[in-house]
Amino acid sequence: MLISWTHLLIGGGAAVITGLDRTAALQFMICRPLVAGPLTGLMLGDWLVGMQVGMLLELLWLGRLPVGAAIPPDDTQVAVGSTVLAVSLAEIGDGNSLAFVILCVLIAMPLGKAGQFFDHLARARNGRLLMRIEHTLDNKEGCSEYCHLLGLFNFGVASLATYVLIVGCGTPVLRYLGPLLLPSLTPAADWVKILFPIIGTAAILGMVNVNRSITLFSAAYAMALLLLWLA
Amino acid sequence: MTIVLARIDSRLIHGQVLEAWVPYCKATCIVVANNEISPVQKIVMQAAVPSKMHVYIDKISEIAEQFYHGKFADERVLLLFSSSHDALEACRLGIPVTRLNLGNMHAGPGKLRYTSTIAMNAEDIDNFQHLTESGVSISVQSVPANRETRFSKLLKRKIPEC
Amino acid sequence: MNRRRLTLRCFFQVFLRTFVLQGSWNFERLQNLGVLFALAPALRQLYAGKALQDAYRRNLAYFNTHPFLGAPILGAMLNLECARSEGRPEEIEVDDFRQMVMAPYAAIGDALFWGGLRPFAAAIALFFSFKGSFWAPVIFLLIFNLPHLFFRTAGLWLGWVQGWKVTETVQRYNLPDVAIRLKEGTVVLLGGLCAYLTFQLLRGEGVPIFCGLAVVPVVLLCGWATRKGLSTLLLVWSATAIAVALVRFF
Repeated sequence: MLISWTHLLIGGGAAVITGLDRTAALQFMICRPLVAGPLTGLMLGDWLVGMQVGMLLELLWLGRLPVGAAIPPDDTQVAVGSTVLAVSLAEIGDGNSLAFVILCVLIAMPLGKAGQFFDHLARARNGRLLMRIEHTLDNKEGCSEYCHLLGLFNFGVASLATYVLIVGCGTPVLRYLGPLLLPSLTPAADWVKILFPIIGTAAILGMVNVNRSITLFSAAYAMALLLLWLA
Repeated sequence: MTIVLARIDSRLIHGQVLEAWVPYCKATCIVVANNEISPVQKIVMQAAVPSKMHVYIDKISEIAEQFYHGKFADERVLLLFSSSHDALEACRLGIPVTRLNLGNMHAGPGKLRYTSTIAMNAEDIDNFQHLTESGVSISVQSVPANRETRFSKLLKRKIPEC
Repeated sequence: MNRRRLTLRCFFQVFLRTFVLQGSWNFERLQNLGVLFALAPALRQLYAGKALQDAYRRNLAYFNTHPFLGAPILGAMLNLECARSEGRPEEIEVDDFRQMVMAPYAAIGDALFWGGLRPFAAAIALFFSFKGSFWAPVIFLLIFNLPHLFFRTAGLWLGWVQGWKVTETVQRYNLPDVAIRLKEGTVVLLGGLCAYLTFQLLRGEGVPIFCGLAVVPVVLLCGWATRKGLSTLLLVWSATAIAVALVRFF
């Protein structure tokens, strides 16, 4: 019941690629759980599990913006880590995949807090690159602007560290707590599944700067529910 | 007239202010009190704010006068300064600030870094001490989702030389 | 025109390099190394020797803006650097220009892309993902990246051609208001999404549909709690515990 090395390595690759997309490079938003989850799942051979992870996590921290020097919680690595855990340790889940996926996400979420710490560390380390470039500027004609690319390395390592922490701590926790918690979580799984997007929605509504957001939300909710009900 | 947030931010109007603090405080009006803003900069700054919000950008003395005349009487004001010096001047001119939030204070020559976003020199600390004595409570918080740190606690931290 | 001295190839190099603008984000001067890295090919064409060294040093100053809205700023900086290298007087100096626009453009970009477009795209894509469709991430990436790439390319180009006047072009589109509309759209879509999920659940469990109206106060309560500083993690954990307990006792 341990994670195989291939799964761990593939997951690590996904963690670095999606982690870099978060701040350092591209920003195509493959770092969002909704993309990072299925992508990791696809690489491990079960995209549907990744999709379930992604849709649970997507809205939760969507309202926390990477503005200025503020670092939002690392939902990318939580998504990648939970997907790896859910695919690799599926035996513990024993047939009921949804409840197990939810359990993986619930356990990975607090471990993801470390992501903020590692990200902070990477950014602090990047400060040294600045000194290095200034140093070459003082001494030589030109300047090695390629120092900049070392920053990518720092960010990559930070992502990988978060991922390793989530999977490393998540595995024993799931092995011991999983069999205890799953029997009570399984009958409630369908209810818990919609709790995630509902709490995510609430968090977004709490922070969005739209006049009458509550009115808009309630009206849209009521209308859609009535349409589905009466149709 | 309520000042829902008075903030020192060397970047003045930017993402943290508009995307995090404005919805959190339900501010209706942004007031920038700064003596060094050029007319072009003023236009660029105003263009960054949604049209439903009011923006006033002016010299500190002008803003103080408008506060005195009750121009912002029925607004929820988010007041921005760029430095500790400006905040102190504004208080001395009678702008009713009771709480002051420190957002971003850039590093520079002779400044020490107290948190990842706050760098201060002796003059800044002096200014803040004056403000505290006149009853302003000062704290550091870059966005509402972060934890708030009291200014007095900040000074007790060990600062690495930079 | 100054374009003679900067080749299209150089422009393309700068364009590719803007994708790693935040690659060495640091707390001292934020994106400054990224700016230097992006502009370096152009600076090498424009200056040599001591002047080049000075140009590098100038571009190492503090810089921070939104990565996508950085494109028009970098484009305009290219234009102004050209003018400077030829000794042509411009109304605004390069350094003043970047000093002036970076914070307001960060505000525009944060509101438009992080606050507006990203939740909007996510809300639409989530409908597909709850249907179990493989297309959900693809749809999300398309909705987000078409405007994103348009901003990067058109922004850099217009900045390069128009110089500091690019601010007038950006201003014309009134982007902060576009962001507000996207957010309003997102709120409506999220309402629909919650209703869709609730309906599916209640029908599956055989619970009367009107009970679904209880979701609205729950959402408002959770929203209030997050505003008061309760962390999402605790909220999710406690809500799960309550759901498990309720299901067990009924």
